[in-house]
Amino acid sequence: MSTEAERLDEEIAALKADVSKARQQLAVETSTIVATAAGQTLLANDATLRTYAEKQAAHLQQNYHRIVTPVTSFKVIDPDPHAVDGGHVLALRFEAMTHGRYLHQYYVMLNRPYPHSKYLRVHRHTIPPAIPLAGFAARYLPSPKPDSETPPQQDLDRFARAVRREVARYHSRLGVMADLKRTLFGRHQEGGPVADDVVEVNMADLEAKQIALTWADGRIGRLVMDDNGQVTKMVVQGAEGRDWELEREVLASDDSTMEDVVRQLQQYAAREG
Amino acid sequence: MPPRISVPIKARLPSTLRVNASHPSVTKSLGRLSREALLSLALDWLDEYAIQNAVPYLLPEGDEEDEDMDDLYPPCRSVSELRQLYVNMRQLKGSKRDVVSRITEGDWRHGLTLFQLAMADFAYLDEHQTSQRWSSYQILPLQPPTRSTEEEDEEVLKVDKESLRVPRFHPATFLQQLQDQILPDVKAHYHFHRTANLPVLLLRIFVVHSGVNDSNALHTKSSGQEEASFDGSKTVYLAFPDGAPAIYVSRPTATGGTVPGDSKSLQTLIVEGVPKALSRARERYTLKSTNLQSRNLWALLDKRGSGRTNAAGGGWSIYVNEKEQKTPLDSALTLPPPSKDDSKGRKREWPMSQAQQEEKRAKVIAEARFGDSSTMDDGRGVERVEVVLQDPFPQQDLTGDLEEDVDGGSGDNPRRRSKVDTVLLQAQSTLDDEAADTTTSSTWTPPVKIAFTGSHVFAGIRQLVEAGMVDGERMPGWMTGEEGVTMGVVRHGRIRGFKGSGL
Repeated sequence: MSTEAERLDEEIAALKADVSKARQQLAVETSTIVATAAGQTLLANDATLRTYAEKQAAHLQQNYHRIVTPVTSFKVIDPDPHAVDGGHVLALRFEAMTHGRYLHQYYVMLNRPYPHSKYLRVHRHTIPPAIPLAGFAARYLPSPKPDSETPPQQDLDRFARAVRREVARYHSRLGVMADLKRTLFGRHQEGGPVADDVVEVNMADLEAKQIALTWADGRIGRLVMDDNGQVTKMVVQGAEGRDWELEREVLASDDSTMEDVVRQLQQYAAREG
Repeated sequence: MPPRISVPIKARLPSTLRVNASHPSVTKSLGRLSREALLSLALDWLDEYAIQNAVPYLLPEGDEEDEDMDDLYPPCRSVSELRQLYVNMRQLKGSKRDVVSRITEGDWRHGLTLFQLAMADFAYLDEHQTSQRWSSYQILPLQPPTRSTEEEDEEVLKVDKESLRVPRFHPATFLQQLQDQILPDVKAHYHFHRTANLPVLLLRIFVVHSGVNDSNALHTKSSGQEEASFDGSKTVYLAFPDGAPAIYVSRPTATGGTVPGDSKSLQTLIVEGVPKALSRARERYTLKSTNLQSRNLWALLDKRGSGRTNAAGGGWSIYVNEKEQKTPLDSALTLPPPSKDDSKGRKREWPMSQAQQEEKRAKVIAEARFGDSSTMDDGRGVERVEVVLQDPFPQQDLTGDLEEDVDGGSGDNPRRRSKVDTVLLQAQSTLDDEAADTTTSSTWTPPVKIAFTGSHVFAGIRQLVEAGMVDGERMPGWMTGEEGVTMGVVRHGRIRGFKGSGL
């Protein structure tokens, strides 16, 4: 019977979900107990549990570091048997967070491929192409020129700062775009959009610096942000050419933030609609 | 009939330009589609937005009595009637030949437009996503010219490595600029298309070598002499991945008769024309080959796409995996998972045999070397990988002299290589020069070229590691696919030129 088989399948799935939930619970509780002082005195005599407790303590310490500094480093060994420098790799971890939540971690792995030199080079990374990592690497981690009289200097600190700054900016811009979507779409829930409502918000370039807007009556527009999230330019194109009126109204001052733009857009839609 | 005059101009071929419905290229491009695809294609043509570029043959107004009884496919009176007809055909069973002849001999007997042909080709591409072989190119910014005089033309601009610009792509502007780059004796038709399940924008360029841009460029109905010019036509696809400074170019295919040697020059033309079309005032770009070719667009998107996987292949892919990323607010320590293996182990009454232990170990090693990448079902397989080995033949233990003279690939060596064979030639020539710089001149270094082929090369290697056929610990890194290339030169056990870093 197919129904019987389905019922059993469901039951199995439910039980598996229970098991994984229980495992999670167990992990959380174990770590909590082990982390407490009382727990540690209790565990002091058990060899296996003590190593576990040590690992837990190390893990917590690592977490504290990651919480207080947005860029942390750690060492990894390259699994490639032909890796340069014995496979020693220095990894940088960049935390990306918005609204008090950790979203992603980005990694940059550095090794030392140059002979008789301690200069670093980007080996692997997980930085998206929206961040010009190659440019930063060329600026702050130039390759050595043994023949030249003024050898280029590497500055890992500035490299890490620059990349972190760019990662944070990129995420802020993405966040701004998400906020824009949320606020603009939030209001025309009741009764469908009117002609002056924005119905579509899209990222128009890969750095998330340009936003493409579409109005319900078919007008399209572009917002251009600078590095710091200020809206610098706005263009609206309707069926009969540029909509100068809307552009002037929305981009009232030179240093509008995205919040100003959203407020103006909402006012504009509410006034006529 | 007044003599038709064609004036050579530089404009592109209009979408409405008709090609004779009986032309072999029309039947060819329709004939390779499935019946289902043909019907939905015809319905797409009759769609509101497309209809002006794909006007069907309808019964002329006021001509109603004069119906031709011999006509196998009597023309419809209106577009909506025709649309209904194709919707009904969907319900019926029949062969695809019926649909093709209905299109070419019935509703579009006066010819199919270039627009329709482009859509037909894209319908085929949607159905057979691996039908094109794509090469990936990287878009790199150039340094601004230092001299503003007329000598500027001679100045070879260098890649601006320190630039922080990220190239932006705007389809309409790009097309306009590309048209300006194309020579006046080449006529082209462009069509943009977005495939539903791929994050790329596809551009089909259909090129005809002719000076004029009306139907004379394709054929003349009276004489049929100029059909040859249509036979010399080429189709090439460009794919622009969303959110990535890269471009994928397909190998041009001849539509009609083959013109040997020509398709390569077209690709060169594209590779030279595209960066100019991408460039703007005070912002110049160039294209650089990334030595990555595949029929699978997902494989290219994985290595040259918008995500975080570009420079984290092989075992490094664990740093991309969302599941293994833990926020520092999570205090629970994840030990090596109390997984299925453990629970099985408890149940097992006898200890693992030697073979079982080795098998398990091989699996663990494969996990370490490949991470989450290169599984059989990830759909990111490349079908061909070619490498040239430049390492001396192993006489003793290889692991000894690894750290020495690593240089060679890092400097100003040309990294652009279009074909492995040319690489091989180059390798042979450089061998003589570099013979002295390797450990001893007596070391025998045979030129070895290795090619892996299959549906998913790196997943295959992973399976070999899991099966214990390949020693996962001694396997060089390029065999995991982490270098992100399908062609390369191996020296000192690594692909030359730091390909894996993606910079």
